[in-house]
Amino acid sequence: MDAARGFATASSSPDDRIEGARLVVSESSAQRYELRDPDVRLMLEVRADSATAFEELMLRYQNRLVMVLEHLVGARDQAEDLAQEVFLRVYRSRKRYVPGSKFSTWLFTIANNVAANARRSRSRRREINLATSDSGAQSAGSLDQLAQAASGLMPTRQLDKAEMRDIVRMAIESLNERQRMAVLLSKFENMSYADIAETMDMSPEAIKSLLSRARVNLKEVLQPYLERGDRPTTD
Amino acid sequence: MSESKEPDAGDRGLEEQLVSYLDGELDADESSRVEQAMAADPGVRQELRQLEHCWHLLDELPRTEVDESFARSTVEMIAVKAEEDLETRQAELPRRRRRAWLVAGGSIAAAALVGYFAVSGLSNRTNDELLRDLPVIENLEQYRQVDDIEFLRKLKDRGFLDAEGDHDR
Repeated sequence: MDAARGFATASSSPDDRIEGARLVVSESSAQRYELRDPDVRLMLEVRADSATAFEELMLRYQNRLVMVLEHLVGARDQAEDLAQEVFLRVYRSRKRYVPGSKFSTWLFTIANNVAANARRSRSRRREINLATSDSGAQSAGSLDQLAQAASGLMPTRQLDKAEMRDIVRMAIESLNERQRMAVLLSKFENMSYADIAETMDMSPEAIKSLLSRARVNLKEVLQPYLERGDRPTTD
Repeated sequence: MSESKEPDAGDRGLEEQLVSYLDGELDADESSRVEQAMAADPGVRQELRQLEHCWHLLDELPRTEVDESFARSTVEMIAVKAEEDLETRQAELPRRRRRAWLVAGGSIAAAALVGYFAVSGLSNRTNDELLRDLPVIENLEQYRQVDDIEFLRKLKDRGFLDAEGDHDR
């Protein structure tokens, strides 16, 4: 990691609006987060140009970040590119960083923003290339195919691990983007409704409603597989 | 999902409470109400079990592991970008300095012009006044010798003073 120690100290880029918003934070709340969250303390070291602290933060979050982004954009390569973009933004905005929330909340706010930008530019490309088929339709089609295979051919069989993984992945893909993000943050980042609300710039009440709809949607996709494949519910 | 019937507001309220209960987001009173509803209605219990079970199924998703090169390439990419940012800023520095000099020079020139016009406007006014009073100034000594202002007015009314002034000029 020699490159990390060779970071130049250019000041932050002006285009990172969300990161900059952290400036409006009271001193007491900044101190509170600094005391409670070890990652906030690391980020403050990054602000003081510590490349080692940046590297440590990256190692702590890279897998979690790539996983969330992969489920958001649907492709591993792109998820890794976007994760790099997120870390670049963190680095560029380090001088303006003031702890106004948990570090993970701040990081995933940036990730949400980066993923939304990527989706926007992808949909613009899709508009231009009218011949390209719609990936959502493909996803729905493959889900239907899997449903037919599971129900028609082997009605009472045990779904194996790989198949279950595919079904769960497709169930996640069937959610809309906001539901998906909320589910990922809740399930894999163990975020509270308040933290998810902050990350997604929504109210906690809206998150409550969003997560409720998302989980009902997941159940509606997954339950038929469970009932046909393993043990029928007798309740 | 499209086949399922649209849930009414009551269903949605119950679903929200059940999900919030599972997520530990309800206070003691709300939790107790959900537990009472479960005790009273097997359908609510089943709904809760299914929601919980489907939620646990998400654990089947494989955990992502990026390879070792990811961190290295990220750090290298950031180092390169930071270097570029620095170079851009340094390259912009002379241009920015030149712009600052231009702005400062322009401001000084503008201030000088404003000053010039203000001063020249004032001095023109003084000259105009002097020009208007010239006939009086030229004959000031003679006017001082006349004590009576009425006499001077009569001379002026009859045109003696004008003729004299014109003649002198």
